[in-house]
Amino acid sequence: MGTPDSSNQPHGAAQVSARVWDLPVRLFHWTLVALLAFQLFSGKTGGNWMQWHGYAGYTILALVLFRILWGFAGSTTARFSSFLAGPARAVEFLRRLVRREPVAHASHNPLGGWMVVVLLAALLVQAGTGLFANDDIATEGPLARHISKDLSDRLTTIHYWNLNFILALVAAHVAAVLFHWRVLKENLIGAMFTGDKLLPADLAREVAAARTASSWRALALVAVAAAAVYVIVKPVV
Amino acid sequence: MKRIAMLCTAAALGVTLSAGALAQAKPERLVDQRQAGMNLIGWYFGPIGAMVQDKMPYDANVVKRNAGYLATLSMMPIEGFQASTKDVKSDAKPEVWSDHDTFKSRMKDMQDAIAKLNTVAQAGADKDAVKAAFGGAGKACKACHDDFRVKK
Repeated sequence: MGTPDSSNQPHGAAQVSARVWDLPVRLFHWTLVALLAFQLFSGKTGGNWMQWHGYAGYTILALVLFRILWGFAGSTTARFSSFLAGPARAVEFLRRLVRREPVAHASHNPLGGWMVVVLLAALLVQAGTGLFANDDIATEGPLARHISKDLSDRLTTIHYWNLNFILALVAAHVAAVLFHWRVLKENLIGAMFTGDKLLPADLAREVAAARTASSWRALALVAVAAAAVYVIVKPVV
Repeated sequence: MKRIAMLCTAAALGVTLSAGALAQAKPERLVDQRQAGMNLIGWYFGPIGAMVQDKMPYDANVVKRNAGYLATLSMMPIEGFQASTKDVKSDAKPEVWSDHDTFKSRMKDMQDAIAKLNTVAQAGADKDAVKAAFGGAGKACKACHDDFRVKK
């Protein structure tokens, strides 16, 4: 990828607005936020909400599958190759953070990139175990009938504990963007709404020249992901 | 009058007998009792859920029958949660006994919710009404499980 991810321009240098997040990434992000909030509510409340807990879970599974596909076939900034960095760069980034030196990144920074991957993996585990889980009341995932009750119980345990892991990741993620906002004066939250980030001029030029995948392609991949989930969860007739 | 007196005597006798039986029951038997009750509740509750969630064809007669069973079954498990069973290994949390009043009130909530489900079912109410009552009962089950049952 021809995009250098970081710039050493000092704070306050001329900044240019650049489109870093394509529409599919932004829609994915905020839909996921809304669905996770709903899952927390529905899972904790139970009753008839559990039916919707299941449907929302299928949707999350499809969204995560889409995001993984988009990480290979999406816009440059959405691709894993543009934000996955080795541990050395992550440590270097962390060192700069501690010294409160802002380092601009078009896509996710080296730590944020790992957060994305770990969060996606945790969500896959959550959705995957949910398919096999049971609540010992009247709800079970669509695949629970294929396995023993004992195994279903164990996967339910993972479903339960992995929730805490996801909540911890979400807390770290929110804390990080607040840190960027308040301390480093980088508005990452706004960028996730508008898609635009203020970047040093050279980095902004690189982003402008990078490839933007069409939303139609995203729609096609969403359809692929949704079809895959449908095949997994479709009711037996 | 005489009939009422007889009924009262019979009821009093029944209570005395069952209390006596409980006092003697081995803790393991009490755990068996409540687990059997819970298993049966799950057995008859599940299909109602599957039916109101369209996972199974709706059969008002089965709903009626199951709800009737549940109304009785819901009264049973509390009997097995005697203090003597505290140390028997089970999924019951120690809070069942350390906070027994809350536990009992949760059990009562469940019984009330099941009674409501039964009333709705016996009245031949439509599926939506049964679904609402089913949801209420499911929530009552969960509220107690969350605080008083070991998360497996």
